[in-house]
Amino acid sequence: MTTFCVLQDGPVNALALNRDYSRVAIGGRNVFKVYLIEDGRFRELCNLRNSKYLSQGFSCNDVAWNPTDDNCLAAAATNGHVSVWDLTKTGRPIQDYQDHKRTVNKVLFSIHDSNKLLSGSQDGTMRYFDLRNEVPALIFQSKTESIRDVQINPHRTTNFSAVSDNGSVQIWDVRKPDRYLSQFTAHSGPVFSCDWHPENHWLATSSRDKTIKVWDLNGNKPVLEYTIHTIASIGHVKWRPQYKYQIASCALVIDSSINVWDVRRPYIPFASFTEHRDIASRIAWKDDPNIFLSSGRDYRLYHHAFSDGQRPASKANPQGVTLNTFGEIIYSRKVPNTLSNSNSSSQNSISKAVGMIRKISTTQAVDNFHQASSCLYAFRPETDGQRKTEEMQNTCAFLRLAETYILQGRSVSELCERNSVIARDFGKSDVAVTWKIVGTMYGEEFVQHLTAIAPVIEEVVPPPPSEKEEAEITSDDQKGTETPGGQFSGGDDDTETEDQVDNAFPNYMNLRNGCLPKGDFFFGENELDVELDGAPMFFNYYHYGRFSQLEYNQIDWTLPTEAFQLQHEIMDHSPPPEQFPNHHHSASIQIDTLHTFQLDEQHSAMLTVSLPPKQLTWDPSSVVIKTLQHYATLGDVQTAATVLIVLGDSRKYLTGLSEAVQEHWMMGYIELLARYKLWNLVTRILKLSWIPSISQMNQQSTSFNTNCGKCLKPLQRVGWLCDRCHTSEYGLCSVCHQVVKGLYVWCQGCSHGGHIGHIKQWMSQTSLCPTGCGHMCEYN
Amino acid sequence: MFEAQEIKAEHKDLIHDVSFDFYGDRMATCSSDQFVKVWDKNGDGNWTLTSSFKAHSASVWKVTWANPEFGQVLATCSFDRTAAVWEEIVGDTPGPGQRGTRHWVRRTNLVDSRTSVTDVKFGPKAQGLLLATCSAEGIIRIYEAPDVMNLSQWTLQHEIHCKLPLSCLSWNPSLSRLHPPMIAVGSDDTNVNNGGKVFVYEYSENSRRWVKLDTISSITDAVHDLEFSPNLGRSFHILAVATNRDLRILNLTPLDDEQASQNGVTKLDIQTAAQFNDHGGTVWRVCWNVTGTIVTSAGDDGFVRMFKMHSINLWKSITSIKGDGTQIPTATEATRSTSTAIPQASSVSTLAGQTARYIKLGSISQPSREQWY
Repeated sequence: MTTFCVLQDGPVNALALNRDYSRVAIGGRNVFKVYLIEDGRFRELCNLRNSKYLSQGFSCNDVAWNPTDDNCLAAAATNGHVSVWDLTKTGRPIQDYQDHKRTVNKVLFSIHDSNKLLSGSQDGTMRYFDLRNEVPALIFQSKTESIRDVQINPHRTTNFSAVSDNGSVQIWDVRKPDRYLSQFTAHSGPVFSCDWHPENHWLATSSRDKTIKVWDLNGNKPVLEYTIHTIASIGHVKWRPQYKYQIASCALVIDSSINVWDVRRPYIPFASFTEHRDIASRIAWKDDPNIFLSSGRDYRLYHHAFSDGQRPASKANPQGVTLNTFGEIIYSRKVPNTLSNSNSSSQNSISKAVGMIRKISTTQAVDNFHQASSCLYAFRPETDGQRKTEEMQNTCAFLRLAETYILQGRSVSELCERNSVIARDFGKSDVAVTWKIVGTMYGEEFVQHLTAIAPVIEEVVPPPPSEKEEAEITSDDQKGTETPGGQFSGGDDDTETEDQVDNAFPNYMNLRNGCLPKGDFFFGENELDVELDGAPMFFNYYHYGRFSQLEYNQIDWTLPTEAFQLQHEIMDHSPPPEQFPNHHHSASIQIDTLHTFQLDEQHSAMLTVSLPPKQLTWDPSSVVIKTLQHYATLGDVQTAATVLIVLGDSRKYLTGLSEAVQEHWMMGYIELLARYKLWNLVTRILKLSWIPSISQMNQQSTSFNTNCGKCLKPLQRVGWLCDRCHTSEYGLCSVCHQVVKGLYVWCQGCSHGGHIGHIKQWMSQTSLCPTGCGHMCEYN
Repeated sequence: MFEAQEIKAEHKDLIHDVSFDFYGDRMATCSSDQFVKVWDKNGDGNWTLTSSFKAHSASVWKVTWANPEFGQVLATCSFDRTAAVWEEIVGDTPGPGQRGTRHWVRRTNLVDSRTSVTDVKFGPKAQGLLLATCSAEGIIRIYEAPDVMNLSQWTLQHEIHCKLPLSCLSWNPSLSRLHPPMIAVGSDDTNVNNGGKVFVYEYSENSRRWVKLDTISSITDAVHDLEFSPNLGRSFHILAVATNRDLRILNLTPLDDEQASQNGVTKLDIQTAAQFNDHGGTVWRVCWNVTGTIVTSAGDDGFVRMFKMHSINLWKSITSIKGDGTQIPTATEATRSTSTAIPQASSVSTLAGQTARYIKLGSISQPSREQWY
């Protein structure tokens, strides 16, 4: 069983298999041939098109085999001829009936009497010929525009069905040519084909209305059993032998594939054959349900193996899952086959008993096919405390933090301090620590120094120290007095560390960082400056900080290490944040490596003062950036964005952080807030944004157009002249009858209005509309 | 823990896709029965059907929401070879406190494909109103609505030809202007010899066309679904891919390449961050949470599984939900292991046999609850 094809000289409109399925006759435009079906190929038996009898424009719409004579063939032509051929005498037809006035769409032999031939034509008639006579025996007037297809009922062989362009199906008895037995409207468009079910008293019809319908004609009235909705007009249908519910179809337009449907699952083809490159015209099953032939407008005759068909349903996605902002999951899945198996096996036994289905193994899958259904579930995360998922907690924390974070109105260190407390309250201890560090590194004490120092002056007056700074200075002093000793004792950073530990301030972070990272930061900032500027600035700083140059050098390069070692040691003394050791695990490593790397160069730095300050420095900004990047990477863009906002002008020190990345984070945070419909917060963020593209977001789409009173189209250019109607008549003031080019005020009740001044004046005297429309306008 | 609730969808055939809107309080389902149904959350938090309409003349494969900035807009794609854009029209309010009647209007029907349209997705809103479709014939089509107020006018901007039949598509939703528009598509071609099944394309501003950045050669199994993670602030992109065999999580890092930036084409470094075969077979769907830290997948074993990012290259299973609603959930490590679905199913059924009554329809197991910080 293989799929193969043979190419013709023109589009193939029809094909027919003889009684033992060994020969196929095809007809089409300039095509009229008979092939022998061999294993894996078609062998041409004869070519009737060569007959001189056939005119140049010969086009065949249908062919039919004589049920008893394998050499006898009938053809229906577009010129209205019905011809009967003997393959042994191909020169001319044995009969040529020219009775039909228009195209003959269908021709077929009577099942019992091989001398009887039935035809259906575009002229609305069917004719019953006896091959032995030259004139038709009977004429059936359908009284419709045209007959598209005629099929003899295999269950009552005297009856035949005829379908027509007006959507109706007629059932005729060949013995009663006066009138049809019954008629019903099957489709809303032309019916192109019909096919009787081989076992049931079912008739399948196909139509331009893109449906295939299956009618039960057992009773008095036709009962619509199944409707298959397809994507295109269906030109031809054919029941699949031995499969009670399966029918093959091909479309008349658009779809060049041949689909085999299970009528019980009318939405998706059971199998699909896409070999044809243009519309397929006809389908014919062999006695084996796994083989069929098809002809197409792509000039081809195909022999299909059913196993070569695609199974669209198998590619169909049986599951769906989606997740929303609140962690709710919607999940759809195919109802598992285990359930339907029992059903199908019982059905199998029934159908076996009836003797309709022979192959149980294949029908198993087939029977499951139509029982496709899905169930849909919502999985809602539980919101009560204990059973809350971690993600749910995170979401709640995000929302609460978004609401409670303080982003402006106070100094950077204060904001950071507060936000740190807020973050801790919501269980975000790592974020809390980050806030603290940011606060200490970029607090305004330092910024004040910076501004004080920035102009290179010999004497810098330190700003009046705040309470905090006072404490800080104290610590500085202590350090100042103690560090030299440490230095001389030969210890480097160790001394410093101990020194700090001894101080053991509860508020250690602020105090320590209030002084030391300032220096770091200063240098970080200094990197921006020209090298030459560096030296005096150093000096100023030392001066202010009451450090000697030597001390300073030492402090400077030991600081980073110290800052982070301290965190570990102090833990024992005061109750620090529990997560502190964990915090920035990666960051501290980075700092360590950074430090050790710098350490080597530092020795030379101490010797040669002229060394560029760049190499002396440790820039906290890179660590801060890395920290924020870390948060952003792990999905906590809230921390990244809010830290940036709180930093305010100090953002400029984060030199390694491009504005594009800042924008990205801000956009990310805004999008997230928008998803939770926190519009107020979004506007707040927009207002606080320093990136033009973001802060301008609330200035977009803020204008709207009024409509012209005449054409009701929006006034595009100005509010008083319609570019379409070229009139201002709807922009006139009701009082002065001049065009209002400024503010137009109008009554919402009667829609009259005008210059605000005029209306105001008018309304101060009367509450009636100035136009005299009688409306009692109110003007506030 | 999760509370499971069955929704009576009453689709007459398989449901192929479910999709939340931007805010997560509306939901759309689509089915082979050619209908799309829109659901809204009522006051009790339950889902109620608000619209149901016949969208296509064949199976509707996917349904997706546009950003609400453009209105209440859906896009669908179908086996009938078309994709459609729908807009919800709310009628006049009949009275105070009452909602007007709602119905969905087809604004456009995109008929360019000659085969089944397998996926449809709106582009990131920063690019305007873009729509990408992919089809079984292996073509990606990018449409644009030049006037976002007019949803009935779409112009076909680009056609990208891939060599394999395509099954799924995802836009990179990155909000950064450093990241040009990017699309990843997957093929459900089952022939392993046809090479990589995931293709990544990027829009090049210089050449004004879409350029293929990479074929992910490490994925040769059929791909059923893929999705970029939301990128709210990452410098790299994460792509989750559902294949015939497993769930892959890939990191796509744009490289700072002088030459590349001159050409205006990004070079990507693609690394597999994680690979989970917990489903023991085909993974059908993947989706991300809003922050892009959790991947949810659905597979042949009937479980919904969630995986969480602990660091760039560390992903762990956090939750497994038994999803058929008739069996008691497995709440053990076993669900996380890579054992196949068959032994799981048997253990589940014995469990179910022992328990006479149970109210919970689904539950989770949390094998690993490590702190990640």
